[in-house]
Amino acid sequence: MTEHSAVEEIRRAIEKAPLLSANAQRLMQITADTDHELGDVIDIVKCDATLTARVLRVVNSAAYDLLNPISSIDRAVSYLGERMVTCIAIGDSVGNLMNRPMAGYQAAAGELWRHDLFTAFAAREIARCARGDMTIDLAFTAGLLHDIGKAILSEFLHGSAENLVGDIDAGHVENYLGGEKKLLGMDHAEIGLELAKSWQLPTPLQSAIAFHHEPQRAPEEDRLLVYAVHLGDIIAMMNGFGTGSDSMQYQLDQGYQDYLEFDTKQLPGIILEATELFRQAEASLTQNQETES
Amino acid sequence: MSDLVLGIGDFGASATSGCAIKTYALGSCVAVIMLDPRTRTIGMIHIALPDSKINPSKVRERPGYFADTGLPRLLEKMVAVSGNSNTRSYVVKLAGGASIMDPNDTFNIGKRNVLAAKKILWANGMGPVAEDVGANYSRTVTVSVDTGEVTISCPGRGQWKI
Repeated sequence: MTEHSAVEEIRRAIEKAPLLSANAQRLMQITADTDHELGDVIDIVKCDATLTARVLRVVNSAAYDLLNPISSIDRAVSYLGERMVTCIAIGDSVGNLMNRPMAGYQAAAGELWRHDLFTAFAAREIARCARGDMTIDLAFTAGLLHDIGKAILSEFLHGSAENLVGDIDAGHVENYLGGEKKLLGMDHAEIGLELAKSWQLPTPLQSAIAFHHEPQRAPEEDRLLVYAVHLGDIIAMMNGFGTGSDSMQYQLDQGYQDYLEFDTKQLPGIILEATELFRQAEASLTQNQETES
Repeated sequence: MSDLVLGIGDFGASATSGCAIKTYALGSCVAVIMLDPRTRTIGMIHIALPDSKINPSKVRERPGYFADTGLPRLLEKMVAVSGNSNTRSYVVKLAGGASIMDPNDTFNIGKRNVLAAKKILWANGMGPVAEDVGANYSRTVTVSVDTGEVTISCPGRGQWKI
């Protein structure tokens, strides 16, 4: 396959990708608006019977160990926070895409979703160290979506993992992103951006998806968010939540120090906190799915 | 016999024929593997962080998460399963402790995990005889009761033994 025809086929695959639900889209637009209130999130959930039912199932799952069950959606959303509501809405809408096995990366089904979920929590913890104003739940959502391009690209990378890793080790390409681009003419960040545009995601989320491996290329106004996701992604990979053959095959960009008041001594605490939150969320979402089936 | 799969912060030991202990995708985490050749007992721990002082309350729930609290628990488990309290006779191997690509080595948790594990092992007179640590790739580790072989694999890099 020539590079040109590969790009054409990838673009066709992007066009055929599942659509984000209208409510998931609205939730992300609200999260990206710095003036939003939790009531805005509750209003969307209340108008969606399926989402309401799922949110109530998650909050009442064993993972949250509540003494008394929560039956009011207002309380459920307050308890879980808008980040988990967004997570449930994204999972309902495009969960199948994010849970696919990714043979091209030699990653099993569910690895991408777990990587994204861990990145989301780690990025949110990192965002607390922001030097400027930042909505930490936006970092969570950006973390959740940052690698969405891999779900499309994987099928085009079939059988290439050994060669890509070998090229990085030999210094022929800088990292896995460079390897993807060299092989197919498009990398997972570019594909993710195309998908983000078709889903009409807010611009800061588009930047996080497009530049999470190269934060210095992000527009200045989004760079803080992009660095939070960049570090969250790295922490997820370090903690064993990667996506197969590309795990840890990327560089750390030291430029984060201009945007985040983050001392590496904080790293163990952030890893621990993100791990705890990830475990709880994963358990609550898994139990939710099991109850459904 | 089903395999014993260890998550982050888990540890375990077995002397059951046909059993293997496995842990996935170590990243910067470190696996310490112990083998007692006399009783054919194997043990492993998946350590995430070097020092429990950052959150002592976590220790009761998951002592294996930290090198300083986890390794003594693995030793206790090995003694309980093997019945051999001469822990210095155990064969010890290490795997993991990878780092992200960064010339300044800023996020050096992997290196610190390896060093913390070694210091505790040395204090117990138990230096590792083999190790596959550092570099920038994630490792999955399997150890078999029947053969005592420690196999490491990584997507895109195949598998090898230490």
